[in-house]
Amino acid sequence: MGIKKVGLNRNVQPQTLTEKIFFLDFMKGLKTTIKHLFRKVITVDFPFELVEPAPRFRGVHGLRNVDGTEKEDFDAWVKKLKIKPPEMGETRCIACKFCQAACPVPEIFIIKAEKLDVPEDHPHHGLKVLSQFDMDLSKCMFCGLCTLACPTVCIIHTDVYDLSSYTRRGWVLNKETLSKIADDFIARRGKEKYDEKSHWPDWQKIWDDSDTARAKAWDNNPPKLGPNYADQQ
Amino acid sequence: MSWITLDKIKKLQEQFDFVQINESDKGFHSVEVPKENFKQFVQFLKEDPDYRFKMFIDWTIVDHGQKADPRFQGVLILFSPEYKERIIVKTWATDETLPTLTDIWAGAKWAEREAWDMFGIKFEGHQNLVRMFMWETYPYHPLRKDFPLKGYEEVELPSLNEKERMDQLEGLQNYSRMHTALPTLEDLEITQKKRMPNKKSQVVLNWGPLHPGTHGTIWFLFDMEGEYVQECDIIIGQLHRGVEKLAENLNVQQIIPYTDRMDYIASMNENHSVCVAAEKLLGIHEKIPEKAKYIRTMLAELSRINSHLLWLGTYALDLGALTMFLYTFREREKIMDIFEGITGARFTINYFRVGGVYADLPYGALDAIEHFIKDFPTRLNDYETLLTRNRIWLRRNIDVGIITEEDVYSYGLTGAVARASGVPYDLRIIDKYDAYGEVEFDVPVGEKGDSYDRYLVRIEEMKQSARIVQQCIEKLRKMSKNDPFFFEPEDKKMKITIDGRGTKLFKGEVYAGADNPRGELGVYIFMPKDGIKPHRFRLRSGAFYNLQIFPKLMVGRPIADAITILSTIDPVVGETDR
Ligand code: SF4
Ligand code: SF4
Repeated sequence: MGIKKVGLNRNVQPQTLTEKIFFLDFMKGLKTTIKHLFRKVITVDFPFELVEPAPRFRGVHGLRNVDGTEKEDFDAWVKKLKIKPPEMGETRCIACKFCQAACPVPEIFIIKAEKLDVPEDHPHHGLKVLSQFDMDLSKCMFCGLCTLACPTVCIIHTDVYDLSSYTRRGWVLNKETLSKIADDFIARRGKEKYDEKSHWPDWQKIWDDSDTARAKAWDNNPPKLGPNYADQQ
Repeated sequence: MSWITLDKIKKLQEQFDFVQINESDKGFHSVEVPKENFKQFVQFLKEDPDYRFKMFIDWTIVDHGQKADPRFQGVLILFSPEYKERIIVKTWATDETLPTLTDIWAGAKWAEREAWDMFGIKFEGHQNLVRMFMWETYPYHPLRKDFPLKGYEEVELPSLNEKERMDQLEGLQNYSRMHTALPTLEDLEITQKKRMPNKKSQVVLNWGPLHPGTHGTIWFLFDMEGEYVQECDIIIGQLHRGVEKLAENLNVQQIIPYTDRMDYIASMNENHSVCVAAEKLLGIHEKIPEKAKYIRTMLAELSRINSHLLWLGTYALDLGALTMFLYTFREREKIMDIFEGITGARFTINYFRVGGVYADLPYGALDAIEHFIKDFPTRLNDYETLLTRNRIWLRRNIDVGIITEEDVYSYGLTGAVARASGVPYDLRIIDKYDAYGEVEFDVPVGEKGDSYDRYLVRIEEMKQSARIVQQCIEKLRKMSKNDPFFFEPEDKKMKITIDGRGTKLFKGEVYAGADNPRGELGVYIFMPKDGIKPHRFRLRSGAFYNLQIFPKLMVGRPIADAITILSTIDPVVGETDR
């Protein structure tokens, strides 16, 4: 650890007379620019060509449904919050509001659960279901704290990033829309992001290395991805 | 740790019997002096050969709540470059006034204007105590505890709330038609006049607030004599969002995403400052897992490269070298890709947590970074052949905007601006936070302090950052995938979580921070008791204090130099305005 002195006459020499007379500084600069003339194009031709966002990308939220890949303690959580045990294809949300508690802007969420209207002898008597889950994404800053707080990996970030709308109404998503976004994302990219127990696996890649658009942005010379740590496969 | 020792404080007490000591178990001791003796005391601290606290760091106010009497307390933070230590000096602002420090440190000028704007504290003897961020006719002082978080909604703004679009929303998700106070054109005119009370020429040249050369919404006023600037002032605040006020109502993990929106070009480093400060307050900074430390150091340095690349591109662009801009953005794209893959966001990152990071590196992350770092030196070489010895570049930079060493101390300049003037002030070596104590790197310092030196210092910093990243990669490669990346407290009283719910801060106060590409972002946290929400969360912005010297540098210079000087000071408006 030291101190390095920089400055004219320290690590940079002033221009010599020959350089001044023959404009060598300009020549050298031009050489660099001309070199670039023969390089391949690196501009990704959006919107005709799209870079696929990374698996961890924090885009528009989604609400995952039950699909058999819940965490180990999912049933325990359902029981604890007195929620009707969800069937396949029903939402994972247990209305615990942890996401809202973690969010820096809690006004984003409206989460409500209702008691089921069933006779007393019904097995679901006294249990609740999620009745409303609205998110106003115009106030969201996509920080990801809600998804980290969710005990059931229900609320997730997807790779959807175009959220333009003509009215503010368009940014308020209800639970059906959110579920659809999540289902669609899980079908496309679920395998890249989650393992069979909805954890982030250690083979989750930094990005999909077969993406040609991304390779183009990396000067057509993308890195070869390998394990990070000594004991990783 | 770079803090004054208790022994030295005790010696102060022997000398001045009015000095009170606030001891802290974390080592961040502060002293309290009465208002009458305050100026004499700080003057002594500045000049005494045993102390030499000659570098101004921050000067701010803590509001102890409406019930407290006296209610406001001034907090002065100083640094001693000779002994490499800091001190906090406090004094009560009885009658809501304090003596001005502008005659001791020029940097106090804006700090006092900010304190007046936000808390309504009058500084006796300040030459032009006008507001800093808000317009002159604004009636409130927003950081006072009795000012509501939402503000007073008193203007109707129907254009933002068109009825047909809005009536389908209900409850909290609807928008109120009322808005907090907004400045009118007359208000702005009054503000402008007050900023330049002694205007000499007939025409004041306005530069900004929306000009591509200002890199954001800064509004410059130049009082011109021909082509030369007689006097200059800056109106900032167009991007003021009150991050400090917001922070008082959040837990510390929730504050981190807000700091992303301050210096949005190096948001990784902004997050870093908050984490380091909160960890030091909790006393866990040394216990953060090794892996998290190295990941944070590595990404913070990548972020520094990223930020300096943007600076280099726009700076060259402003001086007429368009190609440079395209080249640097090519490299930035790669860093952004790496950030996206590791953290989930390209710009507003929120990856660091108080206690570590929120997730381990994904598969292939180190390979991608290594690939970039291997390639980077040749690219940097290209940039240097284009610029460093180009005659136009030399002419436009050499001897422009010379900052002396004295200026650095008196204005509290930090970052590359301070180092270019020959002051090796770098928190990475003073504080050795995270893994900076264990990696090898050099701190570049300049000679003259002109724009050219600032250019060379930043270029060299990029090379040194690449060196640090390389060392971090080597270290991380040797670790195991099962090593922890988040701190698990053994102490039952301490609670920290990755998602932030229930993360608690301890009673006490701390000033700490990180060396950001734009200077030192210091965080001063004051907690009168244990709790979730910080009582006072002061963000000491490096860009804010660095920008303060701009009017001084511009005096007597032709207007064309404004671009060069502003670019080499390199402020980012999100951080100056907060
Ligand atoms: S991403 Fe952040 S701001 Fe958005 S809903 Fe989740 S926690 Fe709230
Ligand atoms: S944290 Fe998850 S389960 Fe709980 S309310 Fe939010 S989305 Fe539903």
